[in-house]
Amino acid sequence: MYQEARITVEVVSAIICFILVRYMIKPYSLTREGRYIGLPLGFAFLGISYVIAAFAYSELYFVSELLWIQLLTRTFAFVFLAVTYYFSNKPSKNTRLLWDITFSLLIVSLIALFLVIFIFPQVVSSNYNSSQMYIRVFNVICLSYIVIHTLRSHIRKPDPTTIWIPLGFILFAISQYSLLFWYTDNSLAAFTGSLTLRLMALVVFLAVAYLSFAEGKRTEK
Amino acid sequence: MKKIPRRDKLKIYGDLLSVLYSEANTEKIVLTRIQTRINVPFDRLKNYILELNKLGLIQDEKTLKLTEKGKQYLIEYERVLDFMKRMGLTYQ
Repeated sequence: MYQEARITVEVVSAIICFILVRYMIKPYSLTREGRYIGLPLGFAFLGISYVIAAFAYSELYFVSELLWIQLLTRTFAFVFLAVTYYFSNKPSKNTRLLWDITFSLLIVSLIALFLVIFIFPQVVSSNYNSSQMYIRVFNVICLSYIVIHTLRSHIRKPDPTTIWIPLGFILFAISQYSLLFWYTDNSLAAFTGSLTLRLMALVVFLAVAYLSFAEGKRTEK
Repeated sequence: MKKIPRRDKLKIYGDLLSVLYSEANTEKIVLTRIQTRINVPFDRLKNYILELNKLGLIQDEKTLKLTEKGKQYLIEYERVLDFMKRMGLTYQ
């Protein structure tokens, strides 16, 4: 029962993320500016990490490397999102080169980490439990940065429509923070809370994206 | 003094199209008024109009007018900008 519920949440999260990618790619398609590609990439990586998690917990095909891959793809998703928010504030002309370097470094380090997982599986599998705590803390830091960034832009130009995204990222950050509690004391409340908050965050993002484009369509008519 | 952020071409195109759309009901569009509203030098405004005309987004017959393609582009442009604002992303 518990296993089934978990797999369902992972699958639903993955589906929402892949729907979100369709919307998140629009700023990049319109502007063709590389700094916005982190947004669809972030949500695509999140979706992939949930698919891998569903596989890992279903035990249909379980290898310990899967846990590492889902952890890394999720972390890189948050990094891509944080980097996109960081660069969105800067004029594109001055930071294009810096963005290209950062983006290339992220891709190279992701490939390198994946290679390490497949070449030295015995090393990484023994370190998973201790490493994941630090990685989750890093995820919370990335999400906190995004929360501060989006809240700042809301405070600069207060508008009821711009408060939802910081709220979504706050829910995401608390969800990651709850996972830390789950790993330390195995609290079931922390674990179910984390999954619920994650789903709530994704629903908030989906609602914001849908409303932006659906409202536009209505005014067009 | 407040610093005015530099706009890229896409933003200027968007501003120009939305000004032309808002002036759609006026009988004759006066270029100097458009120039003041979107805040670009006159020679550059003429270049932008030529480029938008080539892209098929506006037509320059009796008066400047948005084509159907131009209207669709403007709607999509404003929708994406609104989405970016909601996402807390700055576009400058």
